[in-house]
Amino acid sequence: MNTVQIIRVDETQWQALSDDVVVGEADLSQRPDGHRFVSIDVWDDAAFAPLAAAMLAALPAPLRTLVPGEDTETAARWGRAGFVAERREWEYVLPTAGVDARPAPGVTVLPAGTADEAELRLLDREIRAEVEAASGWHTMPAEVRPGPRGDTLIDPSLYAVAVHEGRYAGLVRTVCRGRGPARIGLLAVRTAHQRQGLGRSLLAHALHALHEAGTTTARAEVDQSRTAATALLEGFGAERTGHLLHLVHP
Amino acid sequence: MPRVSKGLELEGTVLECLRNATFKVELQNGHHVLAHISGKIRKNYIKILPFDRVLVELSPYDLTRGRIMYRYRN
Repeated sequence: MNTVQIIRVDETQWQALSDDVVVGEADLSQRPDGHRFVSIDVWDDAAFAPLAAAMLAALPAPLRTLVPGEDTETAARWGRAGFVAERREWEYVLPTAGVDARPAPGVTVLPAGTADEAELRLLDREIRAEVEAASGWHTMPAEVRPGPRGDTLIDPSLYAVAVHEGRYAGLVRTVCRGRGPARIGLLAVRTAHQRQGLGRSLLAHALHALHEAGTTTARAEVDQSRTAATALLEGFGAERTGHLLHLVHP
Repeated sequence: MPRVSKGLELEGTVLECLRNATFKVELQNGHHVLAHISGKIRKNYIKILPFDRVLVELSPYDLTRGRIMYRYRN
């Protein structure tokens, strides 16, 4: 291959050129929480290192990127550019058949689309504040910025809600995508109501509802440090299908 | 800035998830290519699954290989 020339296209994009052909591209995204995530796509291995060097020279640290765990070649490239592992996120597939959907004693699950919207939004805000005060959203797969109402609900009809001791105390968001697996996007229980079967009740309800609707599998992602969440999923027969590595250049 | 050319972009449907974060995609012209997910898609936590309709950029070096640039809403 000829010499690679790196050009900065704009504030967030770089290109690697060889013979006036784009053989690699780099991109910067700034998340609402201020974290900067970069990506590099190359058609020729020789373009990766100069693109990484150009971005590292132009952008303040820390920079982050995501790599599929099984893609060891790409992870090694980022490693050679100075990136190190920050966290890992397991990816699971769950069967929806054969689930006992009876909720735990004292728990009622309101099916998706039936919860009071104002109470559901309040629950979302409360859970969000509790997570931020404890482990923080930086340990979650992706932070979602609150909207004008202070919550993160875009479509309330996707949420089933667990009622415990007369209060909205937990929620699960399920998204169906055509013929493919559904996605368990969020499962959360208020701190004061944890360890009483609400999480299990919500997940059982969600899987049962999917099965009734003809969906055979669902996907979910969990940070590897969350042992209670992984145990819950694996208790429903979830199988790990891969993982996502979060790398950081400090 | 020099005049540059990028790879050909074609629509297709994901047939199969393979090892090493690679996918078999059937393009609208009936050809099959092996494609991986672009970094931009990965950064946005967009998951690619069988039956997804996607936009694939073909490699300028090998027209049987590509990169998934975009997932359409089914």
